[in-house]
Amino acid sequence: MALSTGMKKEMGTLCAVMGLLMLIPLLNAIGPISGPFSVSSFEVSLWGKYLTYAVLAMSLNLLWGYTGLLCLCQSLFFALGGYAMGMYLMLMIGERGAYKSVLPDFMVFLGYQKLPLHWEPFYNFWFTLGAILWVPGLIAFAFGFLAFRSRIKGVYFSILTQALTYAACLMFFRNDFTFGGNNGFTDFKDILGFNINSDGSIRGLFIASAFLVLITYLVTSGLLATKFGKVQQAIRDSENRVLYSGYSTTSFKLTIFVISAMIAGAAGALYVPQVGGINPSVMEAAKSLEVVVWVAVGGRGTKWGPVIGAVLVNFIKSYTTHAFPDYWLIIMGGMFVMVVLFMPYGIVGVYQQVKSYLARNRSFETTTV
Amino acid sequence: MIATCNLQETQVHLYTPSRSLLLDYKRRIFRLVVSLLIVCSASARDARSVMADLILSEKAQQGDLIEELSTFGDTIITEIYEAWRTGEIYLLDQESSSQLLQFTTSQQWALIKNGEVINLTEAEVEKAKKMRPARALRKQMKRIIDTLGLKAADASLRIDSAIKLGRSQKLEFIPSLEARLLIEPAKEVQLALKEALAISQLANGNEAEVMDAVRSLADLKSVASRAFLQTVLAQEIENERGDEPLAEACQQALSKIETHIKQQEFFGSFFRGISTGSVLLIVSFGLAITFGLMGVINMAHGEFVAIGGYVTFLVQNLFIQVWGLSSSAFGWYFIVALPTSFIVAAAMGFLMEKSIIRFLYRRPLESLLCTWGISMIMQQSFRLIFGAANVQVNNPTWLMGNLSFGGFQMSYTRLLIILIALIVVALTWLLLRQTNLGLHIRAVMQNRDMASSLGVPVARVNTMTFALGCGLAALGGAVLSQIGNVGPSMGQAYIVDSFMVVVTGSVGNLLGAGLSAMGIGLVDQLLQPSLGPVLGKITVFIVIILFLQWRPGGLFPARSRSLED
Amino acid sequence: MLAYHTSLYRDTPLILSVTGVTKAFDGFKAIDDLNFYLEQGELRTIIGPNGAGKSTFLDIITGRTRPDSGTVVMHEQDGHDLNLSKMREFEINRLGIGRKFQTPSIYKSHTVYDNLVLSLNKERGVFATLFYRESKQDRERIMEVLKNVGLEKRVNDLAGLLSHGQKQWLEIGMLLAQDPRLLLIDEPAAGMSDEETERTGELLLSLEKKHSLIVIEHDMEFVRQIARKVTVLHQGYVLKEGSFEAVKSNPEVIEVYLGRKGKKSQQN
Repeated sequence: MALSTGMKKEMGTLCAVMGLLMLIPLLNAIGPISGPFSVSSFEVSLWGKYLTYAVLAMSLNLLWGYTGLLCLCQSLFFALGGYAMGMYLMLMIGERGAYKSVLPDFMVFLGYQKLPLHWEPFYNFWFTLGAILWVPGLIAFAFGFLAFRSRIKGVYFSILTQALTYAACLMFFRNDFTFGGNNGFTDFKDILGFNINSDGSIRGLFIASAFLVLITYLVTSGLLATKFGKVQQAIRDSENRVLYSGYSTTSFKLTIFVISAMIAGAAGALYVPQVGGINPSVMEAAKSLEVVVWVAVGGRGTKWGPVIGAVLVNFIKSYTTHAFPDYWLIIMGGMFVMVVLFMPYGIVGVYQQVKSYLARNRSFETTTV
Repeated sequence: MIATCNLQETQVHLYTPSRSLLLDYKRRIFRLVVSLLIVCSASARDARSVMADLILSEKAQQGDLIEELSTFGDTIITEIYEAWRTGEIYLLDQESSSQLLQFTTSQQWALIKNGEVINLTEAEVEKAKKMRPARALRKQMKRIIDTLGLKAADASLRIDSAIKLGRSQKLEFIPSLEARLLIEPAKEVQLALKEALAISQLANGNEAEVMDAVRSLADLKSVASRAFLQTVLAQEIENERGDEPLAEACQQALSKIETHIKQQEFFGSFFRGISTGSVLLIVSFGLAITFGLMGVINMAHGEFVAIGGYVTFLVQNLFIQVWGLSSSAFGWYFIVALPTSFIVAAAMGFLMEKSIIRFLYRRPLESLLCTWGISMIMQQSFRLIFGAANVQVNNPTWLMGNLSFGGFQMSYTRLLIILIALIVVALTWLLLRQTNLGLHIRAVMQNRDMASSLGVPVARVNTMTFALGCGLAALGGAVLSQIGNVGPSMGQAYIVDSFMVVVTGSVGNLLGAGLSAMGIGLVDQLLQPSLGPVLGKITVFIVIILFLQWRPGGLFPARSRSLED
Repeated sequence: MLAYHTSLYRDTPLILSVTGVTKAFDGFKAIDDLNFYLEQGELRTIIGPNGAGKSTFLDIITGRTRPDSGTVVMHEQDGHDLNLSKMREFEINRLGIGRKFQTPSIYKSHTVYDNLVLSLNKERGVFATLFYRESKQDRERIMEVLKNVGLEKRVNDLAGLLSHGQKQWLEIGMLLAQDPRLLLIDEPAAGMSDEETERTGELLLSLEKKHSLIVIEHDMEFVRQIARKVTVLHQGYVLKEGSFEAVKSNPEVIEVYLGRKGKKSQQN
């Protein structure tokens, strides 16, 4: 099948982005030790973290940007994927922990005699990979089924998802929930038999994250190109019309919710080994809102907006927390207010805004964004 | 060194109060004034002067004085006696003919006779003479002091004292308890005395008396006696008399008491639930107005709650600076703080609406983001201004203590919260139903465009409504300062709950918000004893989700005729 | 009462029977013991003052509102009867009941063409849409509908850019693309120019016989243009049924429309 020019252009952009991203591990491996082109392993894992955030933002964009569902539990799905990966990594520590026990340190500390049953399968990497997807997917399915069935939408959906995150977060803070309480998991040693802190592993994880961005991008745009994607956007514009065109909007929303949760879970799974741990603060309700902000800043309902937003906001955040520790929250907060007020279509939208502004000035023809 | 007093003829008694006494000093003076007023009206001489006489008395007079002392219930007796026993009372002979008893820090001395603080010169201090009670007197004094509480002016102190004496199960207290029972005017205290006597009898009485005691304890539903009844029961079983009437009576009594405790716990949770619901109600009324009626999600609502807390804190500090912590004016700070916090937050809400919110009326999801940004800014500002730690807000004295109702305690603070919630409900209702502004608010809620074309000043109504919502949030925060912490993130704990209240009670419906606030508060508190706070919260959340399956639009769903509602 | 049942004794089979339907909101009876029968291929116009329950009636047929009592039955061509009052919106729609709303409701960020693609009478499950491939037939069908509603020149424009009248037509086009057995059309002429209104009327008349139609309308000129049989709703029940002329000259109807002596209209 011949590619249209639009698709060719898109493939070109995609290749360029991937190429640029691959420079980071490449420079880390064979680049200079110092100077403007040196990339330390710390920076590689930092950018790797940004990429997992970008995937998280894309998963939300699928829901919010394209389906109109402002979901405030993306951080929960992200954390669930992260916890699944964390369980595997904890078990891979083996007897090298502080207590020299096969049990993870926190279990020894809390007086566990043996590994809880639900931990056993996580010795298997393939099971873990599955769990990273199906655990968030299952939660999304159960919650989404109840929420969509009773026609909870708009702001109410946001509030209930926020409450879900809040409830889950409370659970994970408990020591007896077998996930390490408020300390969570940390001190990982190996991943797939490689030392998790070696430069090679860090580069590998970065490359994996970059490919996850690529896959997510392809999945998202693939979906949007089908009739399913059209229904999805139609739900955003006029859900009742869709209903009166004979589509069960509940099943569509549920499907997209589950897919989005799985993507977020996968992002979380790559996040955990790159930052070296996970604890319940990752799933706090405020984190979900941060994701919303990334998408808003980048431009919701656009393909690259969430990626740009996630990387940019986190880059600024890293800088301001370092440079103005007392004022960074104020700076970030002010930025969000400004973006919402003056850039309703985000950074990607600014280009459109400027274009339409110029067009309006040039002629009296009506143009829209 | 003190023995060589020279010039003065008159004697002065002094004692140095211990450190803890000094810390207690102000409060004690306050209490003293109160109790003196009561005691003085009853008898011509007060406990202080009798004590002063006793310290100076000869052996022959002591009997009468002790007898007189036993009619007082003033705790000052304990304090002065303790000082006397530990050698902190001094006698100072002075020029004038009057006899003075004094107590002191290193610089300050006080007259025992009336507590008046006086200054002494170095030389006077030098020659003061230490006083000690005689051994015979000590034993008599101990009896007086042990049973002193039975005569206290405050009924709740008498109850505490009676139960304490009963629990000691000492035979020697039985006469005092019986004596007091004969003259005790207050009914609750009589019951406590009976309870104490019965508990005491469990250990001291003969078989028939024990049996009677067990029965009366069952009738009194005495929680305090549970352990003692269990001891009796254990003894009976040990002596292989487990089937006999006494053991049976014990078991019956225990089960009766057990049920009683369960009831108490239930009512306790119920009461806490109502008061928690009341706080939730005040906070979520504000939210129901901004969010429900205007379609704007104010994520900074929690920060307006915190503003209420901090304004209360500031008003309190102002009162402390101007009038002092112990002044009676201090008690009024909370009354002043309530309207102040409302006004301050409403003014800030006014500014926020004028500068930001008004651009977001048709974009509810974006208002969520924007106000979240504002909430971050506000939270961090609190941290920068007041510090990251919680600040301390003291309860005014008149809010301390409990209202006892059928043996069941309700704290004044929580009662006041319920009262404030009722007032808020009434005022909001009046505002929305009886005023012009209320009419305008309701018109704008129903149809923004229609109201605008009918000449309703929509922009102004929006501003006022938003300010009102923020003011109510702060009122919630002011109330919260009396039962919880005041800190930068104090509102966050309530915000999720408040959102749930608004959703459950149907958006835009204040009656629904009120009912669901009470419902959520109650379910939360009733579940907490058995499930713990975390599981309790999660259960509430699940219940809400299931409730919305049954009634998707909440308690009082609004209907719309347009396609996209 | 019996007068309303006449259609039962005719030869033409019915497509829709509404019997004894009542629906109350907070004690106010929006629909009160309503009986209504529609023949296959019939074009029925419903008129009535504001608050007569016209929109609620459509809500009940399409599953948006559940009746308190009574039954709504759709008669299938194979003789099966289906009770609509327990079904959900999209299930009812899949049976071939399409609805056009009072205010045009279209997908404004899709192209005109995509609006119609989404409305085609195809499998509408999640997987069917994921693996849907547009066939030549589909394209022809869409172009045919576009020609019908006069939008063939705007095929690749975003629907949000259409004029109000064009949006109305697009929505009608979306209904046609579904090829429904029964069309429910709520005030199609609202906000249209005279010329547009007349064209809409012609379009509706051309659908008669092939489809069954229920049209709700306020504009009496328009009603005169399309009217076959007219049903007058008043306070949730059928006040009168008959030809336009008969209904128009009926004193009861005149009183309801013009008189309303001392009676307040219950709803906006």
